[in-house]
This record gives sequence, C-alpha cells and structure tokens, in this order.
Amino acid sequence: MAEYVGQPVLRYDGIGHVTARTRYVDDIQLPGMLYIKVLTSPVHKGIIRHLDTSAAERMPGVAGVITAKDVPGKNAYGLIPDQPVFTPEHIRYKGERIAAVAAVDEDTAMEALEKIKLDIEEQEPVFDPFKAMEPGAPLVRPEGNVWEFNSGKTRKIRFGDVEKGFAEADVIVEGTYTTATNDHAPMEPQVSVAYIDETDRLAIYTVSQDLYFHLGMLTAIFNLPMNKIRYIGGTVGGGFGSKNDIHCDHVAGLMALKIRKPVKYRLTRREETAYTTKRGPWTFYFKDGVKKDGRIIARYVKTVHDTGGYAGMGPYVVDKNSILVAGPYAIPNVWVDGICVFTNKPPASSMRGFGIINGTAADQLQTARVAEAIGKDPWEVHFINAWREGDLGATQFKVEAAGLIEAMKRAAELAGIELPAHLKAMSSRGR
Amino acid sequence: MKYVLSFNLNGLPVDTLVKATDTLLDVLREKLNVVSPKRGCDNGDCGACTVLVNGEPVRACLTIGLTVAGKNVQTVEGLQQDGKLHPLQRAFHEHYAAQCGFCTPGMLIAAKALLDKNPKPTREQIVEGISGNLCRCGTYVEVVEAIQAVAAGKYKE
Amino acid sequence: MKDVLYFAPTELTEALKLLAQYGEKATILAGGTDLVPRINYYELKPEVLVYIGNLGLDYIEQSDGKLIIGAATPTAKIAASPLVAEKAAALAEAARLSASPAIRTAGTIGGNLANASPAADLATPLIALGATVVLVSAKGEREVAVEEFFKGPGETVLQPGELIKEVRVPIKKGKSVFLKLGRRKAMTLSVVNVAVYVEMEKGQRCVDARVALGAMAPVPLRCKKAEGVLQGCVLPMSALEGAEFLDKARIEKAAELAIAESSPIDDQRATAWYRRKAGKVLVARALAAAAGVAI
Ligand SMILES: Cc1cc2nc3c(=O)[nH]c(=O)nc-3n(C[C@H](O)[C@H](O)[C@H](O)COP(=O)(O)OP(=O)(O)OC[C@H]3O[C@@H](n4cnc5c(N)ncnc54)[C@H](O)[C@@H]3O)c2cc1C
Ligand code: FES
Ligand code: FES
Repeated sequence: MAEYVGQPVLRYDGIGHVTARTRYVDDIQLPGMLYIKVLTSPVHKGIIRHLDTSAAERMPGVAGVITAKDVPGKNAYGLIPDQPVFTPEHIRYKGERIAAVAAVDEDTAMEALEKIKLDIEEQEPVFDPFKAMEPGAPLVRPEGNVWEFNSGKTRKIRFGDVEKGFAEADVIVEGTYTTATNDHAPMEPQVSVAYIDETDRLAIYTVSQDLYFHLGMLTAIFNLPMNKIRYIGGTVGGGFGSKNDIHCDHVAGLMALKIRKPVKYRLTRREETAYTTKRGPWTFYFKDGVKKDGRIIARYVKTVHDTGGYAGMGPYVVDKNSILVAGPYAIPNVWVDGICVFTNKPPASSMRGFGIINGTAADQLQTARVAEAIGKDPWEVHFINAWREGDLGATQFKVEAAGLIEAMKRAAELAGIELPAHLKAMSSRGR
Repeated sequence: MKYVLSFNLNGLPVDTLVKATDTLLDVLREKLNVVSPKRGCDNGDCGACTVLVNGEPVRACLTIGLTVAGKNVQTVEGLQQDGKLHPLQRAFHEHYAAQCGFCTPGMLIAAKALLDKNPKPTREQIVEGISGNLCRCGTYVEVVEAIQAVAAGKYKE
Repeated sequence: MKDVLYFAPTELTEALKLLAQYGEKATILAGGTDLVPRINYYELKPEVLVYIGNLGLDYIEQSDGKLIIGAATPTAKIAASPLVAEKAAALAEAARLSASPAIRTAGTIGGNLANASPAADLATPLIALGATVVLVSAKGEREVAVEEFFKGPGETVLQPGELIKEVRVPIKKGKSVFLKLGRRKAMTLSVVNVAVYVEMEKGQRCVDARVALGAMAPVPLRCKKAEGVLQGCVLPMSALEGAEFLDKARIEKAAELAIAESSPIDDQRATAWYRRKAGKVLVARALAAAAGVAI
C-alpha cells in the first residue's frame, strides 16, 4: 500500500493506449464477419402500415434481414422496459429502428435498406413538453404523455409547510430556468460485434458501461438464459452515460442468432448524434420565501423533464433530480413537483449526473437571484443556508459528516476570493 | 471494380485490393487490420484517424485510399523503434495524457507532425498543432504538457 | 453498388480528356476534405473519380504583377508562404485561420472555391483582392473573376469537363485584412468572415476600397455600396482634398451598408440576427485596420 498511497500511480492501461494496442470493439474483426445497417423511421410519429423486406433479402451480398418478428423474447428493453428493439407498429421518434440488414459490407447493406418497402401513415408529432401536457395534444403514448410515478403524475417531495413559509417570508423570489438537450458525444461511437461461439453460446463484444444491467435486458430480448450469452466488456472509448443504454448489442445479437454468422453493427457519428439517447431538456420553476437576514424559509420547485418517445432513464433522472433540486440547504419548508413528459424525440436517459447537475445549475441561478433580491452577496446566502451537521434534508434524511461550508471556503480560496470574517468563522459543525 | 493499391506502411511495402471510394481509414482498419487510427466520425471533425502521409498529417477518413499510391504512410504502429517507445509515447503515458485512449493515436500523430517540423514549439504552437484533435475525456492540458516535456528534451530517444 | 472508376492522371491534358469523356459523370477529387464526408455518408454517389493531385497544380509563383496559385495547392502551403503573406495578407490570414493542420495539408484552394460554400474562407479575400480563376477544359481556357464564379450554395459557373487550373491574384499597393468569427477558435467554419482591401493615396486618401462578406448570403458577397462611400474619402487630419472624412462614422456607415446588402440565414452555427450584428462589427474593424483609422 505504502508504495501507492500519496503518490501518483501510472495507469495500468496507459502503455496500451499510447501504443494503440488497446483493443476497442470496432477494432475487432472476425473471419467472415458481416456488417449491419438499420432502417430507421424517417418520420417523427406514425404507424407502420406495410413493411416488405423481401427484395432486400434477395439482394446478392445480403445475409439476412430482421424486424420485430425476429425477436424471440420480449421486444422491449430499458430500465423501464418500454422501448422495442424494432418497432412493430407505432413510431414515436425519428430514427426509431424498423428493420436491420446484414451484408458483406456497409455499402451493400445500405443499398439493401433502399430496397425495403415501407409504408408509414404519418401522424402529427409533438415536440414541446408543455404542449404535450395540454388537453387534446397528440398522444405520444396511448396511456398519456405524462409519466405515472407511484405518487401519480408528479414525483412529490413534501417537507414542512411551504404556504406557511411564504406567509412568514419578507420577500418572495421567483425564477424560471431551462437547460437544453445534450449529446454525450464519446469519441468512440456505439458499436457491437456478435457471433455464435464454439460452445454454441451467443458471444457479444460490447461497449456497455453497465454489463450486468444490460445482460439482464438481453436475456429477455433473446429469450436465452444468462449462461447462453457471453457478454464481453472491456475498454470503452468514452461513454459519459451514453453507454448506460443499449444501442447496438440487441440488434447485433438478434442478427447473429438468426444468421449464425459473426456480425458487426456500428453507428456512424451522424446516426449516433441524431438517434441515440440524450440528456433531456429541463425547465425549472422556483419560488422562494426569503427572510431579509438571508435565510430561505420556503422553497417551491416545479420541474418538467422531456424524456422523448420512451422512458429511457427519464423517470429515474426525475426521481434523482427531485430529491436534490432544492439544494444543499437547511430549508424548513420544501415542496417539489417533478414531471416527466413524453414527446416525439429520441429518448432521454443518463448523462453525467442523472439530472442532478441540471438541477444544481438552476438552483445556483435561483440562489444568486435570492441574494440579489435581498441585497446580499451570494456567498453569504450560500453560507447561511448551507446544510450543517444534524440538519434535516427535504427527504427527511439527517445530514452527517457535513462539509459544505469548509468546501466553499476552500473554493473561495482557490478562486482568490477574500471572504468576510463572519463567513470565515462559520463551520459545518452546528449553527 | 477493385484496384490494387501499393504503398509503404510504416516502412514496409503493402499491396491491397480496394474500391475507388474506400478511404485510407477503410484501407488501414478494415483491409490491413492496422487499427491505431480510430473511426470517430468519418467526417473530418474529430482527428482520431490522423495519420502521416509523406510526413504530413492528414485525416485518414477524408483521404481516398488510392491517392496514397506509392506514398509513405505512418501510423502509431510505426512509432516504436526496436521495441522502444517513442519519446512522445513515454511522455503521454507519464503525463496521464490518455484517459479512455480513443483520441490518443490521433493526438500522438498530430504531436509528431508538429515536432518533426518545429522541435521547439511555444505553448501556443502546441495548442494550434493539436487544435484539430478532439478529446472528449478532456486530456488537453496533459497532452500539451507531455508535448512540452518532449520539446524540452526530457524524453531523449 | 455500381463500380466506381478511379483515375489519377499525371498530365493536365490527360485529365481534361477524361473530364470531357465522362462529362457529368466525372467528379474531380482534390484534397477530398469537402467531398469525402459526402461519399462516406452516401450523400454523394460518384461514378468516376478523377484525382487532380498528381497534375503538378501545386505551386505559388509571382509573375506579371500577379500571384499565381495552382488550384491543387494545399491551404497549409498558402498559410506558410512568405510570398502570399507579403503580397496578399488577407489570403494568408484566411488560410491560416481555416480548419486545422491535418485538414489544411489536404484541402486545396481550388477545392475551397469549387465547393462553393457560402462560408468558404479563401473566397472573401480573393474577392477583396480582385482575383480571377483560370478555368480549363478540353475545349480551351477562360478567366473568370472570383466574385462572378459563385452561383449559389454549391453552385458555380464551372461546366462539366472544366476544372480550375489556377488562381491569379493581382499584386496591389494597398492593404488587405481578413477577419473571421467562428464558434470556437480553431477548426471551425465561419459564422461570418470579412475581407477588405483599402488603398490610401499618400496614406491619407482612399483611392480604392473593396469589401467582401462570407457566410452572409448564398454566395461569398462583394459589397459595392459599402465600397462606394469610402471612395475618395480622406483621413480627418489630412491636407489632401477629399469628398468626406474617412473617420469612425464613415467606417460605420460602410459597415452598415455592407450588412444591408447581405442576406444571412439562421443555421446551426448562428442566427441571421447575430450574423448581422457581428458582421457589422467585423467589417468596421477590418476597414479601420486596413485604412489605419482608430475606431
Ligand atoms: C473538419 C473540417 C473543417 C473545415 N474547416 C474549414 C474552414 O475553416 N474554412 C473553410 O473554408 N473550409 C473548411 N473546410 C472545408 C474544406 O477543407 C475546404 O473547403 C478545402 O479547401 C476543400 O478543398 P479540397 O481540396 O479538400 O476539396 P475536395 O473535397 O477535393 O473538392 C471539393 C469540391 O471541389 C471540386 N473541385 C476540387 N478541386 C477542383 C478544381 N481544381 N476544379 C474544379 N473542381 C474542383 C470537387 O469536385 C468537389 O466538388 C473544412 C473541412 C473539414 C472536414
Ligand atoms: S474519423 Fe476522421 S476525423 Fe473523425
Ligand atoms: S482520452 Fe478519451 S477521448 Fe481523449
């Protein structure tokens, strides 16, 4: 231990990286390997009326075509398994998978895709989550456009009595904040290689960040027991949350099972950017009851998260956000309503922080606005309200090992900001 | 229609059959199994596929394979000499200039192209030299420091 | 997939013969930096590729009071050329600020023009400097002003069978300036770019002014109205006779007119509103630098 603790340790994989001996999934080539291309929906919303792949199947160089009919198990996956590998009928976003072709090379596979006859009845899409919540909005989902939590259409956090807090406040401060869609853009695009191994198991080389989680989903899709799948992870060329979701392994696995030949399915940068999961956009509304001395005594937050056409990790992200969006403050009265809305966009999912950093960005802007409203420095408002040892959070947990004030002092120091003496005298060990 | 493409790869002659639209990246990765140039975008944007053609850095994904006929192509596979790491490889490793490693081969080639022309670059020139290479993990600072260390002679061959 | 043919002629006459033979089926390939992404993404399915990198069209020379640049000259070579820096400063600067090292070693001046992007960085300085392109085909040769070369996004006066052989830049006495605004510092297409050329008699009276705007219209644009209000103006402290003063107000007037002549669009890089605002500032700065006026 002593030789490692307190000193830098060279990366165990560093030599592999600088010599390019590190193998990424797209570096793998198997003898006789075929290449997959996927036919995706050209429209944002619609119903597949007719799908005919026969001409593509007959094309020279094509080894197989698969559609929703070729899914032996459950044609659904995800943390909340609501997204089909291939949609059998309903199209909920542009880029949704409809059919896949395996061919001798990608050029041939692309040409085969053009031979697939697809007839879609286009429907009116909805992109704005607020419009999607209006009565009479186009239905992204038959059950309605708002996700049902256990607690109903909102994820609720209730602590104290916000109305009472507002009544006792000297000032009410409101603000609305939005954050945009983000793509993870890892340098390594999504890719999968699948083949039937020498023991007749389905082997998949994956870029998954989440092997066991995805393995569970794949067993359901393939209708195979876990011991019939060799799920081989390894070096990931960056993920940032995008590889928390399956993008290629299900398609590659299904194809290998059907044609019993090695296959590679990789997304182009454009496909990846246009069609894979995203950090979904958010809108935050804050209303704070504030005392002139700087204490925030009531905070109401309503959030709307756009999760696209499928749940992805949207509801989970809203859950995490709701728990933390009121900020690391000892606010005695908190009310949070988190809403997760379906729209006709690619599904939103995890990305670095699961909705927490978006909430933090909004909270920090709001808290700065609070400071402005009462004529105080934002540092002061942060220090006064910061959680201290033994405080109770809005979800009723007791704060232990608090260190926020100390962390803020250090941050100020690093930023070259001289804090006033009374803030410097504060500590997380009691108020 | 396939064409025979002959060129020098890391000092050795190679011949391979290619289509007119195959890029140098297709030729290297898919035909010759030389996988150090990475396919990050196929669009010229990321720099992960950067290789040297006659000593000049180019995007393998934007270079039609047949245009390198008779030329010298260098990739990271050719950086090591007699089993010894190139100074840039050692410096990158010791400066933690690779995180996931996917951009690293392109970065190394961009850095080599720069130092071959300008062995004592300023920090600004180094930044300019790698400005076409994206690193999503954000190792830029470490990459610049590694190149500075090599330029300062800390990694003599 | 149909077989794609590839030719890499080593003589210009041979290349022109191939282009004549295949006509509209032929696609000229230079550095490939604009063309190949479109092939990779199946937006363009070429039938015949004619590579022009082996024709010896890679040269920068001075002759007859002109800078002559071969069409297949890489942007990197233009950026590094002391001759270009001295005789056509705006062009050198545009080359230096375009793309990134590995794109500049491959991308060529001919490709930048023939690709006819409204944001092509080398087009505006060439317009401001009054450059021409020499177009050749099996039938002969013609010379066209760069400002008349573009027809629309991706469209030029080039006919099937014709290629750009070289670019000719008149060497003039005045000063040229190129300014570019991108989304980031390097490897970025222009949100707007500006090239100006100003010649000051005795350093005091403007006897020639040319203004060109990039990414502000369907084609790289010459702004003649803006040029008009500068013509004949003198510096405020000048002893020379002049129509008007060439001062901050005049330069801002010219910038305003330039923007009024443009027709920018909203796209992924910027809104038209922003392009107008930023473009105006850029024109004013470029003119001030070229005329030696403080603004
Ligand atoms: C990542 C990236 C960044 C870029 N950044 C910039 C930038 O900052 N500024 C900028 O202006 N451009 C930029 N570009 C675009 C491109 O690099 C330039 O336009 C380059 O100069 C194109 O030249 P090329 O030789 O590569 O053209 P090619 O791709 O070979 O050809 C482009 C077009 O011109 C035709 N053509 C080529 N040469 C001739 C000729 N002699 N006669 C007739 N037709 C011809 C081709 O048929 C084709 O239609 C960028 C490109 C990439 C990929
Ligand atoms: S793969 Fe060539 S630049 Fe990204
Ligand atoms: S190290 Fe991961 S992209 Fe650079």
